[in-house]
Amino acid sequence: MTARPLPVPDEISAPYWAAAAGHVLAIARCARCGSFALPPDQACPHCRSTDPDYAFEPVSGRGTVRSWTVIRQSGLPGFASEVPFVLVDVELAEQPELRMIGRLLDGPAALEGPAALEGPAALDGPGEPPLRLGAPVRVGFEDVAPGVAIPAFTLAAAARPGEEP
Amino acid sequence: MTGRGFTARGKVAVVGYAQSAIQRHAGRPLGAITLETARAAIADAGLTNADIDGVVTSALFPTAGSHDVQDGVSSVPATWLAERLRGAGAGAGDAPRYVAGFHGIGQIPGMVGMAVNAVASGAADNVLVYRALHNPPGKYHANTMERAAGPAQWTAPQGFFGPLAMIGLPYTEYLQRYGARREAMAAVLVEARKNGARIPWSHWYKRPLTAAEYLAAPMISDPVCRYDCDIPVDGVAAFVLTSAERAADLPHRPVYVAGYASGLPATRRLPLHWPLDDIMDVGAETARRLWESSGVGPDEVDLPQLYDGFSPFVYFWLEALGFCPRGEAHRFVQDGRIDSDRPDALPVLSGGGALGNGRMHGIPQMLECYLQLSGRAGDRQRVGATVGLACHSSPHYGGAVVYTAEPRR
Ligand SMILES: [Zn+2]
Repeated sequence: MTARPLPVPDEISAPYWAAAAGHVLAIARCARCGSFALPPDQACPHCRSTDPDYAFEPVSGRGTVRSWTVIRQSGLPGFASEVPFVLVDVELAEQPELRMIGRLLDGPAALEGPAALEGPAALDGPGEPPLRLGAPVRVGFEDVAPGVAIPAFTLAAAARPGEEP
Repeated sequence: MTGRGFTARGKVAVVGYAQSAIQRHAGRPLGAITLETARAAIADAGLTNADIDGVVTSALFPTAGSHDVQDGVSSVPATWLAERLRGAGAGAGDAPRYVAGFHGIGQIPGMVGMAVNAVASGAADNVLVYRALHNPPGKYHANTMERAAGPAQWTAPQGFFGPLAMIGLPYTEYLQRYGARREAMAAVLVEARKNGARIPWSHWYKRPLTAAEYLAAPMISDPVCRYDCDIPVDGVAAFVLTSAERAADLPHRPVYVAGYASGLPATRRLPLHWPLDDIMDVGAETARRLWESSGVGPDEVDLPQLYDGFSPFVYFWLEALGFCPRGEAHRFVQDGRIDSDRPDALPVLSGGGALGNGRMHGIPQMLECYLQLSGRAGDRQRVGATVGLACHSSPHYGGAVVYTAEPRR
């Protein structure tokens, strides 16, 4: 049986995967301009420096949903037992347009209604499905193999007045 | 609308074509079909193989699956065809002098642009342009990778893989932002399949689709269902391009290339991450370049053949090209406003598109422009159409070509 594909860390990405294994989301930051880069490219996506000398810096893991899709058939046979699952396109809080795609661990129930969910997202009130444009999320991790964890997301409760998000 | 200097405007023409049958599995090597289709196109243009001194294609086998790329079987590069075009006894001096491939994403406008440049510059006199597409055995996008290296490490481990997930994200963004419903897309599918059902070489010949059938199809990558995707096929189309001067002496009425354009986003993203704003913002620049290159504006286009390999591209192109405001395409396509049988409608899929023919990339769009503007569309001939536009791929990575029945200056 084909397994889910595991990331192959390389010269640039190794610190990202090492941090993820410890359930820390650390994003590459260009030493020249200070911008976050995902994925970290050979030339910095912002200042185009060819010597970005990235440092992987832990981020808050908070972000907002820009879009989603529910995967019901995957081209990767390793995901056959996981469908249907939800992928979210998330803009991380640290920088405009710093976007990441990950699984939403709440699953397709997040599209039905608050009653279908447990946890903080269920407190968001009646009506609107919790998964919507702009919905707040937090990073989570899937432990997929010994020493390998894949960043994912979970719905977070919306910040209420006077509350720290 | 003054051009910044596309000096080839109206100087290069399409003068002949051939289209193979479009089948799920042809049962014959793609290379053999390509060679036959190329010869048929050259004959159709009133030329001989020896007249062809340029060969241009885009050879990409556009699968995310773990299928072998084998020249002559799953892919037909220009060099492969050029080596086999001449008859026995031809020498090295007889080989085509301009042989090239386009490597970008909007393959059809990309390769047409290269052919136009070759003719306009004199790098070649008569250029064969073709696209050969293959449907391998097994699932088209199935990939048994268990290790995700390079760019794939950022997406495949979490199951973001292949073009269906790619288009699912901006399509959700569109529906949510504009309050559109996926049911609205039925109008696009019904129109594409209605027209494809009238085209003898189409995979969907005599097989129209109803809105109810569309809505009953299984979802694959919400909000994308099976019928929102074109079906993989074996098929080849070929065209001959030459100068407007030489075209005057050839048997068919020439169709002139007025201009072309492609887009390229400046923002680096994860592999296959195509956010709606990228598509539309860069798409607006693609359109601006197209009008500038061709000297034509959207109001003059009789036949805007929009790309539809995934149905949401029809919305994106309608809006990017300015045929309706952003966020309005899902309403624009309703109530017969894209019905090619209505004289007052905008016939954006009169050639059936990829949804109505099969996964021929932007070929159905290009072919419809050629057939209609050369007066060769038979029973489907539209009266009075003089300006066509053929799109391919997404407005932000693809492109479009403007064709005219009379040479523009
Ligand atoms: Zn930088």
